[in-house]
Amino acid sequence: MSVWIDRIGYALLVALCAFALLLLVAPSVIVIVISFEPRAFISFPPSGFSLRWYRSVFENRQLMDSVWVSLGIASGVAVIGLLLGVPAAFASVRGRFPGKAGVNALLLSPQMMPGMVIGIASLFFGAYFAFRASNAMLMLSLSVFCLPFVVRIVMARLAGLDPLLDEASANLGAGKFETFVRVTLPQIAPALLAAAAFTFIEAFDNVTVALFTWDVRGRPLPVELYYLVQYDNTPAIAAISALEIGLSFLVMIIVARTVGLARLGR
Amino acid sequence: MTADALRRPGLPRLLRRILHGRGFWPAAPALAYLIVFMVLPIGTLLLFGFVTIERGRIVGDSFTLAHLDKALHDTLVWRLLWRSLWVATASSLLTLLLAYPVAYVFAELRGIWRMLVLIAVVSPLLTSALVRAYAWLVILGGRRGILNQALVSIGLIEEPLRILNTDWAVLIGMTQIHLPFMILPLLAVLDERDRRLEEASANLGASHTETFFRVTIPMSVPAIFAGLALVFAVSYTNFIVPQLLGGGNYSTLAVQVYEQTIVVLDWSRGAVLATILLSTCFAFVLAIVAFGSWLARWNEVAR
Repeated sequence: MSVWIDRIGYALLVALCAFALLLLVAPSVIVIVISFEPRAFISFPPSGFSLRWYRSVFENRQLMDSVWVSLGIASGVAVIGLLLGVPAAFASVRGRFPGKAGVNALLLSPQMMPGMVIGIASLFFGAYFAFRASNAMLMLSLSVFCLPFVVRIVMARLAGLDPLLDEASANLGAGKFETFVRVTLPQIAPALLAAAAFTFIEAFDNVTVALFTWDVRGRPLPVELYYLVQYDNTPAIAAISALEIGLSFLVMIIVARTVGLARLGR
Repeated sequence: MTADALRRPGLPRLLRRILHGRGFWPAAPALAYLIVFMVLPIGTLLLFGFVTIERGRIVGDSFTLAHLDKALHDTLVWRLLWRSLWVATASSLLTLLLAYPVAYVFAELRGIWRMLVLIAVVSPLLTSALVRAYAWLVILGGRRGILNQALVSIGLIEEPLRILNTDWAVLIGMTQIHLPFMILPLLAVLDERDRRLEEASANLGASHTETFFRVTIPMSVPAIFAGLALVFAVSYTNFIVPQLLGGGNYSTLAVQVYEQTIVVLDWSRGAVLATILLSTCFAFVLAIVAFGSWLARWNEVAR
C-alpha cells in the first residue's frame, strides 16, 4: 500500500517539477518564435519566417536611441557598482572592526528594498534637491539597487581565497599594492566579471526604478518597452524582447563560466 | 606582515588605507553612497507624506497628519491593501508548491541534466520581467491567445477562457516571474543536505512519502521561509504585472502608488500610500520570518 503512495507521490513531484520547468522556459521560447512573424499581427505558430520585425527595430530611431541610453546607464551602473562594491566586499570579509555585522547588513539592505520604493524615493529626493528626474539620477539610484549583487558575488569569492597566499607574497617582499594587483586581483577577476555582467543586465532591464526617474529627453529602453507593451501590439515588441533574451543568455554564459550559475541564489 | 610598504610615498593616504584591507575604510565609500542615495531618499519619501507640498517644494512648517488620516479612512485603500495581501500570499504559496519539486528533483540529478535545469531556472532570472510579462500577455491574451488556441484545438474547451484581465492572469504572471527567487535558495539547501537522516528514517521503516514530509521538508524550513519572505515582498510591491496582466481597471496598493505619483501627480498621497506599502510589507515579511524561525525551533525541540 505505502509503496503505491510512494510511487504516486514521486510521480506527482516529478510532474510538478516538469510543469514548473515548462512554465519557466515556455514564455521566452514563445516570444522568440513569434518574433519571426512575417505579417503585421502576432500568431502562433507564426505564419512564416521573416526578419522583418528585427529590421523594423533597427530602423526605429526612437527605439535605437533608447537602447543607447540604456546601454550607457547600464555601463555606468556596472562601473559604480564595482568601484563601491569591491572595496566594500574586502572590508566585509577581511576587515576586523566593531559594528561589522551592522555594516554588512546595511551593504546588503537594498536587496530588501522593493525597486518601486527606491524609484519613488529617488524621484522625491531628486525633485527636492532640484536635480530633477534624469538619467543621471536613474543611474545613481539603480546603483543602489545593484550594489548588493556586487558585494555578494565578490564576498563569496573572497571568502574562498587562501589568505596564506597574500602572506607568502608579503614574505617574498611584495608590497600591499603589488600583492593586491598580482596575487589577489587575478584570483577575484572571475567574480568581478560576473558581478559586472550581472549588474549590467539588471540595470539594463530594470523597469521598476526607471519608470519613476526616467528623463523626458532620452527614455531608457525598459520605459519605452513598457509603453509599447501597454498601448501597442506589433510583433516588433517580440523582436526587441527576443534580442533582450539573447543578451541575457550572453550574461548567463559569462556567469556560468566565471562563478557558476548556482552562485546567484546565495 | 610588514606595514612598511604602506608608508611608501606616492600613494595618497586614503588610497593606502583602502588598500590596507583590514579595517573599516574600504566599505566607507559604499556606505556613504547608500546613505546619500538610499537612506536620505527614503527619508524624503517618508517626510513627503507628512507635509504640504506645492510644486515639488515643501511649504515651511507644514507638518500634518491629514494625508495619512485621509488614506486610513479611505475604504479604497483598505480594499487595495487586502488585494495586495492575498495576491502576494497566494503567489508565494504557489511559487513554493512549484519550486520545491524542482529543487528536490535537481538534487537527484547528475551531469548534463543538472546543467539544463539550472539554465532553465537562471535564464528567466536574467530576462527582463517586462519581457516575461509581455510573453504572458501574448500567451493568455483574449480569443487569439496562444493558450486558448491550443486548448480549443485539442478539444479541451469549446469557448475560449477569459484569463487575461483577471486575478488569474496576475497570479500566473507573478508566480512565473518570481519562481527563480524561490528555487535558488531551496536548490542550495536540498542539494547539500545530509542524506543520512533520510536513510535513517527509511531504515526505521518509514515510507518515502513519510520521510519526505517528516524529515526532508522540516530540514529545509529555514530556506522555505527565506524564499517565502522574499517572494512575498517582491509580489506585494510589484506593480508591473497587475498593470499589464490585470488590465486597466485592476489595481493593487502598489499600482495605486505608481498612479498617484506618476499619472495623477498627487505626491502627498503617493508618499503616504508608499509609506503604508513599505511598512505593511516589512511587517508581513517580519511575520513570515518570525513564524519560520518559530517553526524551525519547534522542529528541533520535537526532534
